[in-house]
Amino acid sequence: MPALSGFLWLISYWLIGEVVIHFTALPISSGVIGMLLLCATLAVRGRVPSSIAAAAQPLIALLAMLIMPGVVGVFFIIGELAGQWSAILIALVLGTLLSVITTLWLLKRLIGQPHVR
Amino acid sequence: MSADTPLLTLLTTTPLFAVGLTLAAYLLGSALFQRLKRPSWLPAILIAALLLAGALALIGLPYATYQQGATWLTVLLGPATVALGMPLYQQLPRIVELWRPLAICLPIAATLAACYSLAIAWLLGSSDTILASIAAKSVTAPIAIGITEQLGGTVALLLGALLVTGVITIPCVSLAARWLHIDDERLIGFALGLNGHAIGTVRAFEISPTAGAFASLGMSLTGIFTAVLLPLAWRLISMGS
Repeated sequence: MPALSGFLWLISYWLIGEVVIHFTALPISSGVIGMLLLCATLAVRGRVPSSIAAAAQPLIALLAMLIMPGVVGVFFIIGELAGQWSAILIALVLGTLLSVITTLWLLKRLIGQPHVR
Repeated sequence: MSADTPLLTLLTTTPLFAVGLTLAAYLLGSALFQRLKRPSWLPAILIAALLLAGALALIGLPYATYQQGATWLTVLLGPATVALGMPLYQQLPRIVELWRPLAICLPIAATLAACYSLAIAWLLGSSDTILASIAAKSVTAPIAIGITEQLGGTVALLLGALLVTGVITIPCVSLAARWLHIDDERLIGFALGLNGHAIGTVRAFEISPTAGAFASLGMSLTGIFTAVLLPLAWRLISMGS
């Protein structure tokens, strides 16, 4: 069962992240700490063990589904903010557009397009 | 169970009902997305979320009950986030190649991602609570919730802001990329992850594994950077005013 042992690795890294947060009080999620630790481990080993690939690939493919239950909650708080919604929406939509343009423009200035794939 | 127990109560005693509902909405949403020829303004996740919200409203299942059952799925978000370390490692050579521009771009872009929306909301007269709730709008959910609690915002509103930001990032990036003549998947992926957190990253993986890896990188760096600096900056500004 390679996928199962890979899954155990992923869970262990997440739990290590929890332990790190407990002792350092870092305001970061344990998932992100686990992700960085996994990346560092793979870099040290120099390859991806097939067990980790077997567990990680299907999980990454499912990410969209895993955030859905949280996303749906939005539709149930709309009533609470009557009157404020237009300001919030304008701020989010316009702010995101501006920040996307800034990010891409900055990256283009800094990197250019050395090779187009 | 006696015969007079309402069917819905019977079904929702097991988390499998919420899990099944989520799977159904997800598969149906993805199928519809394919059928509509993958529109960039209507990501699959939004279609699925609308279907799911509609289904919950239709059968009269309270969101809290659904959420409790769906914990069986959401608990997997932890290991799934850890799993992103794999594409990150596989793309490491390409990322190292670009570490200098990315290191310069990230603090500026992550700061502006929060500041633009805060400034606009402030100009439109939003309350301090609302400002505190939308400040972390470009940060991935598990980190953003922690930040918002520190700032004194509402978590429910934050999740709404995350959804809007994530969904709107996708058409914004394709629009801006066309406008700036950018077709480098690495830049597009990084912008998607930096601005659109997990939703943008999911979209980037649909484009290519390279775009996905740069998106995970942008998402995690933005998360860490914002988590460390935003609460600090917030305290300084609050003290000044």
